[in-house]
Amino acid sequence: MLYIHHTTCISPQPRLVGGEEASALAGGEGRGTAAGPVNGVYKVVEPGYPGIPPNTLRRMSKAVRLGVGAAMPLIRQERIDGILIGTGNGGMEESVKFLRQIVDYSEGMLAPGNFVQGIPNAIASQIGLSGHLRGYNSTYIHRGLGFEHALIDASMLISEHPGTHYLVGGVDEVSGYHYRIELADGWYKTTVTPGLSLYDYDSPGSIAGEGAALFLVSGESADAVAAIKGIETFHSTDQHIVATRLRAFLARHLPAGSQPGQQLSGSPALYLSGENGDNRALPFYSACAAVLDPAVPVVRYKHLCGEYPTASAFAVWLALQLAPPQPLPQHILFYNNHKLTQHSFILLERFR
Amino acid sequence: METAQLKERLKAQIIEFLNLSSTTPADIADDQPLFGEGLGLDSIDSLELIVLLNREYGIVIKDPKEGRKVLVDVNTMVDYITQHRTK
Repeated sequence: MLYIHHTTCISPQPRLVGGEEASALAGGEGRGTAAGPVNGVYKVVEPGYPGIPPNTLRRMSKAVRLGVGAAMPLIRQERIDGILIGTGNGGMEESVKFLRQIVDYSEGMLAPGNFVQGIPNAIASQIGLSGHLRGYNSTYIHRGLGFEHALIDASMLISEHPGTHYLVGGVDEVSGYHYRIELADGWYKTTVTPGLSLYDYDSPGSIAGEGAALFLVSGESADAVAAIKGIETFHSTDQHIVATRLRAFLARHLPAGSQPGQQLSGSPALYLSGENGDNRALPFYSACAAVLDPAVPVVRYKHLCGEYPTASAFAVWLALQLAPPQPLPQHILFYNNHKLTQHSFILLERFR
Repeated sequence: METAQLKERLKAQIIEFLNLSSTTPADIADDQPLFGEGLGLDSIDSLELIVLLNREYGIVIKDPKEGRKVLVDVNTMVDYITQHRTK
């Protein structure tokens, strides 16, 4: 079992930052104040990064900045034996700059900064450098399943090495070039009204987003706020397969009668759906909702953070910000679909 | 190009290449050391400056000892550019 002890998040929603991370991320001059989409993109409201030396900060790509900025409050908390970061695109903006250099200067003398900052594992490595953490350091670029695979690896590491602690998270940035490619490919809507109306569109595409959500995890239950009870990832284009796999997932991790008197047998108390306003993905989400008892409340969150490959990390963080329900513990199910083919289930048990 | 103009242009290029977003050309004195206590640049920045000289002025610095003499401050860079530029 993977126990979550602390979390931080840099998201497009400044009002959602609370508790210990609010004070830890405060200070310095922030890089944005707008909550909500700007030109059709949900951009994060960046803090001032008071813990990062200015000379280091100026070189960082946005993704690296978000990852290190979110990590700083956590790496001060306690011993960390490894860093595991999921990212779909890493520092895509810097990668594109580097590719452009190759073309513009005919593969001649190239500035190294764009390359160093653009590679996906720059996020985890810069966190390691910033915190002097020389242990396990790994990056998962499984498109829309990077965060889930970071969690799976952390779970396996903890099984092999009980007593170890890991920093796990999902980090992605919106880059202008990549956004235009994805827009042209039909993954984003050309016009979007902010808020819950995202789910009212009957059209393809979602809204672009970005963010960094990090978690301090271990195999120790003491002082944990939640535990990851199950994770499953798979590829499919068939909504019936998705529903069948969800039934099996719940039977395996939340067997009927496991929570007598607290919630419906075999059903979570809450379902966080990754629905994103893309009508092509809706059948998958509907198929999952049909598996659950109709009384299970459904919470959607992509109108808060936008769509990006590691948005499920934001969902897990968000679930831990919700007011503590009664009675506790409470099981929360997450289902996310990335680009119609990648699926993930996460089952979380919240203790407080 | 006048030396004063070249200095201003070079300062703007240094800011752009090194992403010194909170610095303006006026903040960089002609004789302010680029590295260490001065502008606070480091070895990675020196690579970026060598790329800058190559791209913008057609100057190739191959000898590290030569680089250490050139990348001292804006004055030394402008002197070297004036003598060796190919574009």
